[in-house]
Amino acid sequence: MSSQVRNEILSKIKSAQRNDPLPRPQLPFLSERALDREQMLERFTAELTSQTGTVYRAKDRKDAERVLSEIAAAEGFKQVIAVGKNLQGIDIKSFGNSNGITVRTLADLKDREALRKAAFAADAGITSADFAIAETGTLGIIFSKDQPRLASIAPPVHIAIVSIEKLYPVYEDAVKQVFGNVNEIPSQFAFITGPSATADIQAISFKGMHGPTKVIVIFIMGQ
Amino acid sequence: MHNRVDKFKETARAEMKNELSQAFLLMLSLGAPIMRQIGMSSFPDPAAAEAYGRAIRTESIERLPELLEEFKKNAQAKGAKVIWARDSAEAKASVLDIAKKRGINYITKGKSMVTEEIGLNEHLISNGVDVFETDLGEVITQMLSRAPFHIVGPALNVPPEEISAVFLKRGVIKQPTVNPVELGKAVREYMREKFRYLDMGIVGVNMAVAETGTIINVENEGNIRMNKSSPRTLVAIMSIEKVVPTMADALHMVRILSRNCTGQKLTGYVSMDTGPKKSDEMDGPEELFIIIVDNGRSEIYRDIKVREILKCIRCGACLNACPIYAKIGGYPYGFSYSGPMGQILNPMLLGIEHTSDLFRACTLCGACKKICPAGIDHPSIILEYRARQIKDRKHQTLSARFENNLATCSSLAMSSSMLWNLAVKTVRPLFNSLAEDGYIRDMPFGAKGWFSCRNLRAMPDKTFHEIWKKLNLPNPDDVRKKETL
Repeated sequence: MSSQVRNEILSKIKSAQRNDPLPRPQLPFLSERALDREQMLERFTAELTSQTGTVYRAKDRKDAERVLSEIAAAEGFKQVIAVGKNLQGIDIKSFGNSNGITVRTLADLKDREALRKAAFAADAGITSADFAIAETGTLGIIFSKDQPRLASIAPPVHIAIVSIEKLYPVYEDAVKQVFGNVNEIPSQFAFITGPSATADIQAISFKGMHGPTKVIVIFIMGQ
Repeated sequence: MHNRVDKFKETARAEMKNELSQAFLLMLSLGAPIMRQIGMSSFPDPAAAEAYGRAIRTESIERLPELLEEFKKNAQAKGAKVIWARDSAEAKASVLDIAKKRGINYITKGKSMVTEEIGLNEHLISNGVDVFETDLGEVITQMLSRAPFHIVGPALNVPPEEISAVFLKRGVIKQPTVNPVELGKAVREYMREKFRYLDMGIVGVNMAVAETGTIINVENEGNIRMNKSSPRTLVAIMSIEKVVPTMADALHMVRILSRNCTGQKLTGYVSMDTGPKKSDEMDGPEELFIIIVDNGRSEIYRDIKVREILKCIRCGACLNACPIYAKIGGYPYGFSYSGPMGQILNPMLLGIEHTSDLFRACTLCGACKKICPAGIDHPSIILEYRARQIKDRKHQTLSARFENNLATCSSLAMSSSMLWNLAVKTVRPLFNSLAEDGYIRDMPFGAKGWFSCRNLRAMPDKTFHEIWKKLNLPNPDDVRKKETL
């Protein structure tokens, strides 16, 4: 039945007059491509900060654990959900133990229901972002078995740990890697730029509509 | 959606007297174009970026048949279930069927213009499946049963007092408040429960990428990501013109859309879905349905003079630029689509004969055409509708027939100087007989509208030729001959 409808719609537009579109103009120039790593980091920080996000630079994974502990103490986290393939080497359980925080990782969650319960109850979601894009202070996350979707959208605070190696100038750099091989396209890839927001009532804007109210990015500068 | 286009004039008159709407429209029409300008100027070469975006949309529409087939093939290869719908009835029936077969009690929805166009919510609710809009503006318009005021901010104009009252009634808040942030946060809490236990979500589609079979959603609130993450079943509804050739094209269009829509360089979230979740993933939809809706688009496509309507990316920039919209707001347009984009799309969806007020409420100033990131020539399409309406004998109104006959007579008279002079001699005294104190203020035969805001000066009793003759001056040709000698 649907194939008949499809054929009907397609044959209607196929039999219409065809105009050959003009050749494309030159691809617009993206000035961000010229940035070096320090400039990219500055641009990323300025852009994300303008969206009320916070950016930290950690020397290494040990330093990242220290930064995480400081954030946890300041925000008063009681329970967090932490996902992402080995989280850039951070020992997240020991972070939880030493700060008195209940940390749930994927190993603790047996199915979708358990994940939903943990993600909606968590004070923060800690994720490992696959890309950071300087252009607009944007995170790029590939969702997979190691990286469920809810961890970065349901909790009120989203903390993303990113290796500095994954900082790129423009969106195209990430998309080429994620969509380059047709057989390895993830079920979802998302760009996240700052906390969720709205201005739907009287054009008064505020952060924290349905997703996180705060977004914190920790760059790991070395090993 | 129930359409109220026939009430255009009376709604417009009421809105022009509504002080709240007027104050809000003033702010919107001054502020939004500046926000857009700031956004666009963040491109290293804004003109080149705009030209490239327009080229993508033109190519996408010209290559529509093959791009749709490519999209379908790739989306299916990734496990999405693609359903085609000729019209709103088929689209609504498909969604209801999906919900009923899975025993769904309630659905949450991301903002989607096409679902408003087809009246999806009303259909689902009347068939026992509850639907909750989740975009803050849509939550408000749904609870108030009101049409969208603006395609980007559907409830931007609604006063907080009114929102507070309806939220109290619906149990979203316990105590009244007129603080926009508190009202918004209350909706956050209210919807979290719905998202937490959600079994089926519905979203629209901003772009469908042919090359990969990917659907892209652009948003700020996170409600669409919730809809795409929590439930087992996800339905994405798109009209046929949403397709773009490649991911690179989609990225460029996302940059263009964000800037034109809200003046942002990028919206908070851009989610790109290719197929349902993989079997080892813990969340995301087990089933992804993509419903491709025609509902009149293929007819628009075949109509070569108006085909370019399909280039529209629904950014709303033309609403903010339009001097008519700036006076009357979104309600008078009486359908899901308002402003210039509604004036060109609604006549094709609802019929030219039913939407005359829409394409006549235009000064042809061209502000929409100038600002349009898709490169649509709205004024030409509006002129085309006017011409078609005048030529359409079956639905011709009395005034259209009169206008038509008048034009025929004029062209006949203008074809010979003798006829013209004769006509002038006869019409002039008739015309002047209506004058009072040298001005004509009204005329019979339905010209009242024209005279509602201007008067016409009475004509002099004699024509220029008559006066000239009477002056008895030498013939200019003779004077010239004499000078050259």
